[in-house]
Amino acid sequence: MNKDKIFKLAKGFRGRAKNCIRIARERVEKALQYSYRDRRDKKRDMRSLWIERINAGTRLHGVNYGNFMHGLMKENIQLNRKVLSELAMHEPYSFKALVNVSCTAFPGNKAVPKKEGLSSIL
Amino acid sequence: MATTIPTSAFIATPHRCSTGRSSAIWVQKAQFSASSSSLGVSLSLKRPSLRLVSVRCEANGAGMPVIPAQERWMYEESEINGPDIWNKTWYPKAADHVNTEKTWYIVDASDKILGRMASTIANYIRGKNLATYTPSVDMGAYVIVINAEKVAVSGQKRSQKLYRRHSGRPGGMKIETFDQLQKRIPERIVEHAVRGMLPKGRLGRTLFTHLKVYKGSEHPHQAQKPIPLPIRDKRIQFVKK
Repeated sequence: MNKDKIFKLAKGFRGRAKNCIRIARERVEKALQYSYRDRRDKKRDMRSLWIERINAGTRLHGVNYGNFMHGLMKENIQLNRKVLSELAMHEPYSFKALVNVSCTAFPGNKAVPKKEGLSSIL
Repeated sequence: MATTIPTSAFIATPHRCSTGRSSAIWVQKAQFSASSSSLGVSLSLKRPSLRLVSVRCEANGAGMPVIPAQERWMYEESEINGPDIWNKTWYPKAADHVNTEKTWYIVDASDKILGRMASTIANYIRGKNLATYTPSVDMGAYVIVINAEKVAVSGQKRSQKLYRRHSGRPGGMKIETFDQLQKRIPERIVEHAVRGMLPKGRLGRTLFTHLKVYKGSEHPHQAQKPIPLPIRDKRIQFVKK
C-alpha cells in the first residue's frame, strides 16, 4: 500500500507511529492483524457477556445459568443467548416467566444423600 | 440502575417461546389500518378498547416523530423506529451509572469468614449480580463494612496468615501476622481481601473506592440509607469448635 493509505489508517496512533512512515507501516500492519483476530474474538466475547448477564438475571430468581439453560433445552426453547440477555435486562416479567418454564422442566440437581453404613451396600 | 424498566403490560405465555423470532411479537405495535383496507371491511369494531401490548415509544412519551411513509427513505432505521434493542447488545449510557443513584449496602463483619464475605462484597461492587452487568463500566453498588475488627478466619490463620508489604528498598520486606495487623489497622484486612478480588486496572481502582470499611459499628453514611447486603453463602458464619 502506498504511504497515503498507510497514514490514513494510522490516524490516532501514538507518537511517531502516526507521522513517520517506517514506524507507521509496522504499527498499521499490526493493527490490521489485531483487527483480523479480534473480529473473530468479538463473537466469543459477546457470547460470554450475554451468558454473564443471563447468569446474573437468573440468580436473582434463585436459579443458576446452567440449570436454567438445561431447562430451556428440555422444553426446546430456541431463544438464543443474545435475546435472553436483552430479555433479562429490559423485560423482567417475561424473563421470570422463562425462568418458571425452565424450573418446571428441570427443577435442579438434588444432592444425593450419603448412605451410612449397611445401607450403602444394599 | 437508572433506566426505568418499562412495565410491559403483556402476558407472556410459554408456548410463544418456541422460536427465537417470536420475541419480536411482544413489542409489536397493533397495526390494524393495513389489514382493514385489504379486506375492504372496516375492522374498527374489533380493535380492543384496552391495549394488551404497551408500545414503548408511546409509553415513554418522548418525541418519536411520526414520519410519513413517503419520507421514510430519507431517514435511518434508528430514527424511524427507535433504537434497535433486539439486535444490538445493550451498552449503558452515562445516565445508567450515575454514582449518586447507586444502591448502598451494609455488611456487619463480626464473626464472618473473611474470604467468603469479601467474595460477595466484590461481586456486588463489580455489579455482577445485576442483569445489566458490563465489564467495562462501573455498574456496581457501594458497600459499607462495619465491625471490621471482628472478622473471623478459620483454622490457624489467625496466627499464621502473613501480610507482606515491601517498601521498595533492599531488605525492605515487612511481614505481619493476621492478629498483629488486626490490632494495628483492622480495616486493612478487609480492604486487602476485597482488593484482591476486584479487577486490577483503572476500573478496578475506582471500584475499590466504592468499598467503605469501618472499625466499630458506626459509619458516616446514614444519609445514603444502606440496605443489608443479601448473603447467600451458607458457610459464611464462623462456627467456634
